[in-house]
Amino acid sequence: MDALEGLAKLARRAREESTPVFGVSEAVRLRILSERTETVTLIPLGLFGGLSALAASVIMVLAIQFWNYMTSPVMELVAPLPEIRLW
Amino acid sequence: MGSQMTNAGCQCWPVDGTIESPGAILYNTFVENTDWADVAASVRGDDEAYGRLVQRYEKPITGLLWRFTRDPTQCEELVQQVFVEAYFSLKTYRGDAPLLHWLRKIATRTGYRFWREKAKEPQETSLSEFDVLEEIEAAEEDRIDPAEAAMVLQSLLSRLPPDDRLVLTLMYFEECGTQEVAERMGWTRAKVKTQALRARRKMKEIAEREHLLERLGWTL
Repeated sequence: MDALEGLAKLARRAREESTPVFGVSEAVRLRILSERTETVTLIPLGLFGGLSALAASVIMVLAIQFWNYMTSPVMELVAPLPEIRLW
Repeated sequence: MGSQMTNAGCQCWPVDGTIESPGAILYNTFVENTDWADVAASVRGDDEAYGRLVQRYEKPITGLLWRFTRDPTQCEELVQQVFVEAYFSLKTYRGDAPLLHWLRKIATRTGYRFWREKAKEPQETSLSEFDVLEEIEAAEEDRIDPAEAAMVLQSLLSRLPPDDRLVLTLMYFEECGTQEVAERMGWTRAKVKTQALRARRKMKEIAEREHLLERLGWTL
């Protein structure tokens, strides 16, 4: 008999082992309930997060436009400066 | 509706009758009537129906996960994980195979994930694993305690990397062929064949190094 045959023989015997039973149905029910609650609380949180991101994007677009508006007159004032002889 | 039953032992749906499931799924003869009724009720949120499914399939799922860990606490945790994951995936169950096959697939993947996570942790060599081999006494095959045989085999398998270990665990303990291992894991059959070949070679080396046959008194 070689080692592999020995292992197969061992496996045959091992398959007859009786395995424990834990009775998990109640624990599973509780875990499902708690995960379901977590999902429910996450939905408004996700909605709030999404709306915040949307609002932030709008503010960002407005801010960029405002910034361009703010900087353009300044640039017009500053840009000719290098061409002016100061002395 | 025809009433051709495929299995005398269980009440099954007719072979020619496809009936629309709660999730607009078509199912066939593989799924037992009682299972399908409970699956449908569970999808609708009936916890008692799901409890019945858990009770019906807890034993075979525990038996499978017992091959992934012999620690009762960890095993129980894994069994719970499998049924919780199955509950939240019930809508995706298409009913093209018996529910137990579907649950076994989830259980195998859960066990495999468990091994991979354990493999990432800093390894503390468990001396008990080696003690098992030290304690073997020479015996005839039918005189070895099945639990002891399982312990020895699992301790030898635990020295393999997770992929090799998984393939041989399913082959030795569950009598799975390469096709079934491939289906459970979503691997190709060619990969499983290569993996099995490599794993067997490694296992042979380990068994020879440990003088397994001499210890068991199976050298004749």
